[in-house]
This record gives sequence, C-alpha cells and structure tokens, in this order.
Amino acid sequence: MTTFLQILVNGLMLGGLFAIVSIGLTLIFGIVKVVNFAHGEFLMAGMFITWLITTRLGLHPYAAVIIVVPALFVMGALTQRLLIQPLMSARDDHVQIFATVGLSTALINLALLIFGADIANTPAHGLRAPISLGPVRVLTGQLYIFGAAIALVVALHLMMKHSQIGRAIRAVAQNRSAAELMGINVNRIYILSFGIGAACVGLAAVLIAPLYPTSSNIGTYFVLTAFVVVVLGGLGSIPGAFFGALLIGMLDALSGFYIGSDLREAVVFGVFLVILILKPSGLFGNRRALSHLS
Amino acid sequence: MSSSPTLSLPGGRNAALLQGAGFTAILAALLVVPLAIGNDFVTHIFITMCLMAALSTAWNLVGGFAGQMSLGHGVYYGIGAYAGVILMNMGISPWIGMFAGGLIAMVVGVVISYPCFRLKGPFYSLASIAFLEVFRVLALHFSSLTGGATGLMIPLNLGWTWMVFRERWPSLVIIFGMLLVTLAVAAAVRRSRLGFYLIATRERESAARAAGVQTVRVRLIAVAISSFLCAMLGTFHAMYLTFIEPAAMFSLTFSIQIAMFALIGGLGTVRGPLLGAVLLVPITEWARAVLGASALGLHGFVYGSVLILVVLFMPNGIIGFLSRYAGKQNAEDAAPATTQTDTIKAPATPLVPPAPDRAGIGADIMRVEHLNKHFGGLHVTRDISFTLREGEILGLIGPNGAGKTTLFNMLSGFLSPDSGSVSLRGPDGKFHTPANPADFAALGMGRTFQIVQPFAAMTVEENIMVGAFYRHHDEKAARESARETAWRMGLGPLLNSEARGLTIGGLKRLEVARVMAMEPRVLLLDEVMAGINQTDVRRAIDLMLSIRDSGVSIIAIEHVMQAVMSLSDRVIVLASGEVIAEGDPRDVVRDPHVIEAYLGKEFADAQA
Repeated sequence: MTTFLQILVNGLMLGGLFAIVSIGLTLIFGIVKVVNFAHGEFLMAGMFITWLITTRLGLHPYAAVIIVVPALFVMGALTQRLLIQPLMSARDDHVQIFATVGLSTALINLALLIFGADIANTPAHGLRAPISLGPVRVLTGQLYIFGAAIALVVALHLMMKHSQIGRAIRAVAQNRSAAELMGINVNRIYILSFGIGAACVGLAAVLIAPLYPTSSNIGTYFVLTAFVVVVLGGLGSIPGAFFGALLIGMLDALSGFYIGSDLREAVVFGVFLVILILKPSGLFGNRRALSHLS
Repeated sequence: MSSSPTLSLPGGRNAALLQGAGFTAILAALLVVPLAIGNDFVTHIFITMCLMAALSTAWNLVGGFAGQMSLGHGVYYGIGAYAGVILMNMGISPWIGMFAGGLIAMVVGVVISYPCFRLKGPFYSLASIAFLEVFRVLALHFSSLTGGATGLMIPLNLGWTWMVFRERWPSLVIIFGMLLVTLAVAAAVRRSRLGFYLIATRERESAARAAGVQTVRVRLIAVAISSFLCAMLGTFHAMYLTFIEPAAMFSLTFSIQIAMFALIGGLGTVRGPLLGAVLLVPITEWARAVLGASALGLHGFVYGSVLILVVLFMPNGIIGFLSRYAGKQNAEDAAPATTQTDTIKAPATPLVPPAPDRAGIGADIMRVEHLNKHFGGLHVTRDISFTLREGEILGLIGPNGAGKTTLFNMLSGFLSPDSGSVSLRGPDGKFHTPANPADFAALGMGRTFQIVQPFAAMTVEENIMVGAFYRHHDEKAARESARETAWRMGLGPLLNSEARGLTIGGLKRLEVARVMAMEPRVLLLDEVMAGINQTDVRRAIDLMLSIRDSGVSIIAIEHVMQAVMSLSDRVIVLASGEVIAEGDPRDVVRDPHVIEAYLGKEFADAQA
C-alpha cells in the first residue's frame, strides 16, 4: 500500500514538473496559434543559464530566476517578432512548422557547439534532499515545483481575467480581426504572449535545473511529453494543461512500475495517439479549440 | 497549402530545357565524380548525398505532394534497416530483405496514417513524431529480436549477394541506382492522375472530393509508395553501415533531415529534394571530417539555420526560386506561353457546336424525398421534396439563410441528412442512393462551390485536368479534354495562368469548367453569377444554355434574377428551410408568399 501511495505521489510530483513545462507551450498555442517545436530548446537554454549562474557565481539556483525569466521573455519575444510574425500570413502549414523545427535544430546544435556533449550538473543546494510527507517521501525541489506550477496557473488566470492586458490577449486569441478593429495592436500582443509563454518555461528551467542534469538534448526529452500534456488538456487551455500534466505524470509513474520502465514512453505516447485521434479536443478542451482538425 | 510551385514549371521552353539539362548533369556527376576521383572519403560523401536525396524524394511524396508534414519517416527507414539485418542474420540476402522490409513498412505506414490523416498541419507532424518514439522504444524493448540498445551487427559476408563490400564504389553504384528508381517513381507519380489528385487534395480537400477524388485513398497510396521506398533505402544503409541501433535508426534528428532537404530544394517538386541534399550534405560532411570533434554540432547548426533562412526568404525552395527567375526572364523575352508539351493554340474548329434542337425535358433523373437537417437546435431543412427531370434547369432561389447551400451539400453527399433521401438515376436506369461525394460523383453528379475553391497553386489547365481525370485515366487524354473544356468555357487564353491570379469572374468559370470536365449528368451550380459583371452574366447564361442543350440537368442557386428568369424551366423558392413555392418562374415571382419571404409582410400587404 505504501508503495502504491509512493508511486502515486511520485506521479503527482512528475505531473507538477510536466505542468510547469507545458503551461508556456499551451499559452503560446492558445493565443498565437503556433505550435512551437522549439519550446524544449527554450527550456534547455534556461537550464544552461541557470547552470552558468549557479556554478560561476556560486549563487543558489533559484536566484537565477532574476536573470533567466527576463532572458527567456526576450528570447520568446524575439522569436515571435523575427521568425513567426513574418510568416503569420503564410497559408501553408509547412512554413510555420519548419520555422520552429529549424529553430529547435539550430539551438540544440548551438548548445553542442558551446557546451560540448558533456552534461552540466547544477549544484542542488539541498533541493535533491528528500523530505517525508506522512508515509511518503518526495524531493524538496519537486515539492517547490509542484507549488510553483499551481501558483503559475493561478497567476496567469488572474492576469487574463482581471488585467487590461489580459483582456486584450483574450480578445486577440478569440478573434484576431475583431480585436484589431477595437484598436488592439495585435502584433504587439503576439510578441508579448510569446514572451510570456517563454518566460513561463524560463521559470520551469530554473526549478528543474537543480534536479536534472542539463544537456543539449534535454529539451527534446521534456517537450515530447509537454506536447502530450497540451493535447490531452485541450489546446490553449492552461488549467487543462495542469490537470493533463498530473494525469500523464501518474500514468508515467504507474506504467513505469507495473509495465516496465523501458516501456513508459510507449504507454504515454500510445495514450497520446489515442487521444489525438479519438478525442482531439482533449479531455478538458472545448470544441472551439478544434483548429487542428479538418 | 498553396504557395508551392505548380506542377509544370512556369517559364519558357528554353528555361525548362536548361533546368532539365542542369539537373541531368548534377545527377550524372553524382556517379561520375566519385568514380573518377576514387577516394574513399569522397565516395562516402557521395553515397550519403545519394541516400539523403533518395530518402527525401520518397518523403516528398507524402510531405510535398500530399502535404502531410511527416517528421517521423525514420520509422520506415528503421523498419527497412531492421528487416534487412534480421533476415540477413537468418541467411537471407538483403536484396530479398529490402522487399520484405518494404512490404512491412508499407503495411505499417498505411495502418498508422489512416487515423492520422484527419489531423491537420502541425498535429499530423506531432503524431508522426509520437509514432517514431513508440517504434524506438519498442525496438529497445524487444531486444531478443533487435539486439536492444546494444544494436545489431551484420555478418560480414562480402560480395554482391550480401550487398557488403570491401571497397566503396559498389555501394555507390547500388545507391545511385536506387536514387534513379526513386526519382523515376516521383516523376511518374507527379505526371499521373495520382499526382494531380494528391496536389488537388492538398490544396482544397472539399473541391477535390467534389471532383470525385477519394482523398483518403490517394494519400494512403502516397504513404504506401513512400514508406516502401524509404524502407528499401533503410536496408541498403544498414548494409553500408554494417551496424544498427534503435537510437540511430528511429531518430527524430534524422527524420527532420529527410524532410529538410525536400523543403530546402522545393517542396512537392521532383527535383527539389536532390538539389537540397547535393547542396547541403557535402558542406556538413566536410565540416564534420575536417573540424572533427571541435565542431560537434556544427553541421546541425548549419542545417537548422539554413532551414530558418529558407523558410523566411525562399519558402518555395531552390526550385521555386529558380522558376520564378526563369518566369521573369520569360516575361521579358515576351516568349509565347508554352507548357511542357506544346504551344497553346485555339482549336481550328469551333468547339461549341451549333445549338441542336433542344432535346426537351425527359423523365426524372433525381428525386429528393423528405429531407430534414438540424444544426443543433436549428431546423435548417424542413421536409424538402422535389424532383429534377432530365435536361431541365431548375432554379433554386430564396433569401439569405434559407438553407440553399445546406441543401446543395446534402444533394452532393457533403452532408448527410437527418432523415429523408436523395436518389439519382444511374446510367443503368435504376435509382441509387449514394452516401458520400465520391459515390455521387460516380453517378454523374458535379457541383460548384459558392465560395470558389480553386487549386491555387495549379494552372488553369491543371485545375480542369483534375476534373478531366475523372473520365480519362491517361494524362494526355485528360490534358486534351481539359483544353477542350477550357476553350468551351472561354478560358482558353488563360490555360497557363496560375489559378490564384484569376479575377472572380474567371474563378467562377474555372469552377464550372472543372466540374464540366467530369462530364456530369447532373450539375449543381451554387451562385456562379454572384459578383460578376454584366458581360460575364450574359456569357454565363449562354454557357448554361449550351450545357443544358448537351443533355445535362442543372439545379442552379442564383440571386441574379435576370438569369433565373431567362434560364429556369422551373423555380423552387426556399425560405427558413421550407419550400414555399414551386413552378413557372413568371408565376413564382408574383406569388405573395415569395414576396413576403423576400420583402416582408408589410410590403406584401401594400402591394395587395
């Protein structure tokens, strides 16, 4: 029983981690309507910056948030302005797909060129120490991630609902032309949204860096799961991504234990394919988000 | 999807010849140069070029022609590699193994693509990545078969039987041959009915379905061919590498590269993928060899950056860039417009025959019985019944929102009614009740769309050919028939123009020409006269009369009253999903119910 409980909690913690990685992805899709295949590489960039700050300056990894989040915001905003915006009017799918696929390939290999193939371990500063919660144990860092994921969901929700900029963002997401007619600068909103989405994954990078070794392909490792989460939760839905992430985390942990750790990914992607094909609006999505179906 | 180059390159005959010669020279160099130099490293680079070019050409059948951006083609390559090596370990030659692998990959390709084809754009790409990951994980897991993470070695049996050699040149000869086969297949597909159908489906799925294209089937055929070829190439590469492992065979990076060369060279073209591979592979292979470990990641960085630059500044790839340049030159030279086959000339004899005596209205050809349709709580079609007789023009009018287009969608199989039936008299004289657009087309039903749906990246001729292929399986016959139809519809001088450059009047005529090329027996015309000028309206009226006189039965939705009055034998008036009047056009327009539906009750009272 304790084992089962421990597995569930592990799954929940893993879910928190998936959630914090996925929120930025779903946000960008929901507003800019672009699937950012380079999302994982944004995470990787954030983790490398965190590693540099922690090792070179000897600071606590969480202190890197002051640099990483603004840096990723700029990176996201620039991506939108320089890469996506010129392609927004293209009616061909392949243009936007390959724009971010190209960015992803370039960033992975740029990291290889700069940091080499070795993995970079960010000092944990006690974040890898387990603490007991009743009968189960979790890593301190995992618990912080879980808390941060919830805080991020709530903060984004409040921003979208109650701030002027949030209203503008929602207006653009729902109807680009109408928003433009209301005097909203749509291109600025897109740049801002892409920046916010990237900043979210910057926060994720800071929190994940002390727990996972950083390497050039760490992004691919996380982003494939993030895509699963985002589709499962309903594209563009932030709460959907959160609950989707918890489900995938549990599924990952349970199948890892009961089916075999080497088949975990097959199970997760199997579920992904079933959802994508049978219920493409996701478990929590509405029909409005069905832009990916013919 | 629309900005990919057209099927036949724009530009003059000279430019086309020049491009063809250049391409042949590059192709020949792939074999001759390394054989002449005789250096192992050079030969290796050329083998890699041929392999990537061939894989990318095969990918292009799905990614370019069908427009499905697969980022998981490594699945097929990997299946071919594993099938080849596993069978070789059992003592079976890879020459047989490559066909076994090809067949397995083909089955896998069709099975995994069938459910994925309803996914659009990036979501199809995501699904293809997910399948790739599943296959990699499975290859790692079933280690008794695949050797798991430690990989598989091939037994070192040398010689042509085993496709394993001490020198490099025999491998070069084999892969060059395979490249030629792949290119030949791609060229044949592009010129065939299948190629036209694939591109039509990519451009406008609903218009393709209206033209009788079985859109899922043609894409599955493309996947089957593509996966078969990729698997054969995978078998070859496994023999060349002599060692395979899941991480390399089912690799996302590798799958992206396959797609990338096609994109850089020119998506949906026969020559593009080869050009992409020939340009990029040598640079990166050379950098890898010369700069060694210090340049780890350099080749990938170059690939990624080139991809971004191409997408931003050359979205149609090298081929698109070249043909635009050639097209410009051609315009400057004011050379006569030509196609690949011959110069356009108006047919010597008039194709519109002198109007025969009208055959007269015959027996029922279409029966519509008690159709009902709801959209949520909205009852859009209420118990509609009518018949269409042979050789008749039936006008369908009604105010906006009356449900005319919904009715058309049910009459052509695009929507299925909640209750009621649509039956058509087949050539066998019996009435049939078809269920989908393809079955309707098979019974001789053709339709146009209210919002024109041209295949934008195709020329006028190619657009009409998509329709003509319904009657003619052979490309030449279809082209002939398309030209004939074009001249009849007054589109003759525009045959080589791209559809996206036409005026609205031209597009409406193109819409009719495409469906006429299918030689339909029943024609549904949805507002073909809306938004066009008076001259065009008069031409359209004459056109419809000549179509009618050739024995086609027509239902026309029309708002231009001049046309409705002069054309229709009978008129049906629809309002709020109901038939409110039916009969002779002159009587119907005087019917108070009709006046009320269009102009309101007060107006009807005032008139009375």
